[in-house]
Amino acid sequence: MDLSRREFLSCAAAAMSHRLPIPSRVAHAVRPVGCILPVAGQCSLPESISGFHAALDNEPRAVLGHLVVVPALLDLPLDFARGIVSWLRHGATVIVESGAGFTGQLSFRRHRRSLRDGLQLAVHTPVRLWSEQRPFRRTPYVDYTWPHPAKIRDFSRVVPLEDQPGEIIARADGLPVALKRRTGPGTLIYLGSPLGPALWAGDVAGKRWLLSILA
Amino acid sequence: MKKSIGDNMIPKDWGLERGLDLVKRAGFDGIELWLGDVPWFQMTTTDTQVRELRRKVENAGLVVSNVSTGLHWASPLSARDPTVRAQAVRIVEREIETAVLLGSDAILLVAGLVTEEVPYNEVYQRCVESLKPLGEKAARAGVRIGCENCNAEHRFLISPREFRQFLNDVNSAAVGIHLDVGNIHETGFAEQWIEIHGPRITRIHLKDVLKHRGRCGDQSVYTNLFLGDNNWPAIRAAMTKVGYDGWLIAEMEARYRYAPDQQFYDTAQAMDRVISGRL
Repeated sequence: MDLSRREFLSCAAAAMSHRLPIPSRVAHAVRPVGCILPVAGQCSLPESISGFHAALDNEPRAVLGHLVVVPALLDLPLDFARGIVSWLRHGATVIVESGAGFTGQLSFRRHRRSLRDGLQLAVHTPVRLWSEQRPFRRTPYVDYTWPHPAKIRDFSRVVPLEDQPGEIIARADGLPVALKRRTGPGTLIYLGSPLGPALWAGDVAGKRWLLSILA
Repeated sequence: MKKSIGDNMIPKDWGLERGLDLVKRAGFDGIELWLGDVPWFQMTTTDTQVRELRRKVENAGLVVSNVSTGLHWASPLSARDPTVRAQAVRIVEREIETAVLLGSDAILLVAGLVTEEVPYNEVYQRCVESLKPLGEKAARAGVRIGCENCNAEHRFLISPREFRQFLNDVNSAAVGIHLDVGNIHETGFAEQWIEIHGPRITRIHLKDVLKHRGRCGDQSVYTNLFLGDNNWPAIRAAMTKVGYDGWLIAEMEARYRYAPDQQFYDTAQAMDRVISGRL
């Protein structure tokens, strides 16, 4: 079943307003078309949503393809995760951006558990890149290696990845902070350092990197 | 024009009442109250206590010129951490609330803080986004928010035209500039800032600056009026040109080592000279 971007976004809005994890029409959509879908009540950075919208809203549908962005995620509900897995199986590219860098311990534990249970993603506890315990931080950038090398501003705290299937596509201070994993015909991309705020602040390299994923 | 001075200038061991008495005797018309900087005016100070504070100020024959705060240095509106940002917004809201209770129509805030960690573009965007709803809140309360030009210290909005663009982007009549004529250092000339911002100036902080010294450790570049490099005749003329007739508020960083009360008298008299134009 195809779902237009307009339909998809209206479903997402409904999900937010009704505080539902994900509407069934969206959950059963096989091929969503380029959309930004925050999990209701679980987006820690509204500016991240704004950033992805700023970067993608004016892009033609053909460019966006079957992209789904889940910005600044905290807790991933299981039925939402099932929706993501379904889209991946049907060829979607899904970006899951962690928003847990600034959360408390309890909230982070939920984040970690929900990623593990829903998407088999394993993450470490957040690392503060700019603390006094790390006085030798050299650059303020996350270094991406895929789909092309790019330096994009870090967001102070990152959620590094554990060893697991998939390709590490970015590091910050040597820490693995982004992963790409093929799932059938689809691609799951996990970002442990939020990209949305950089897009929101007009980071050209960030937008170029995002669009190059879709090329 | 009227003269005011910050309550954070009152020697720590004096207490509020004795300090207010000094401020009045030195010839000031009002006092700037610094939320979070002095024991009598904290975020935890209740509305009832704030009303009592106003009564003490008025009993001393003074009025509250404005509410200021230095709390945003630790909790800036530009913080990445949503919790810190929420606290920063709450500080501004409390400033607005207390300004109303104190009978004032102006507050000061340090709008954002550019650091190695949080870059300029983010700070700009976040401050604009935060100030739009705060401007609406201030307008409803009949209060104007003055974003202070802390040029060197917050590494943000360094030029007057950039500051004007920032205020244009916020686009609220209730958000203007609290102009500090000492903070401009080597990056410009206070009189030009006054000309460019004119009616958007909510209050003016007065102090002098040793432009060629530069900060060195804890050594202050700020000094008493007429001892530094500000062009005071030009500053006074610019105020006349734009029709500024509001509060002038003394903000001295360097304090007298001895006879601290004398600094109040000297400053008040120097401000009289600025106001009269006998320079």
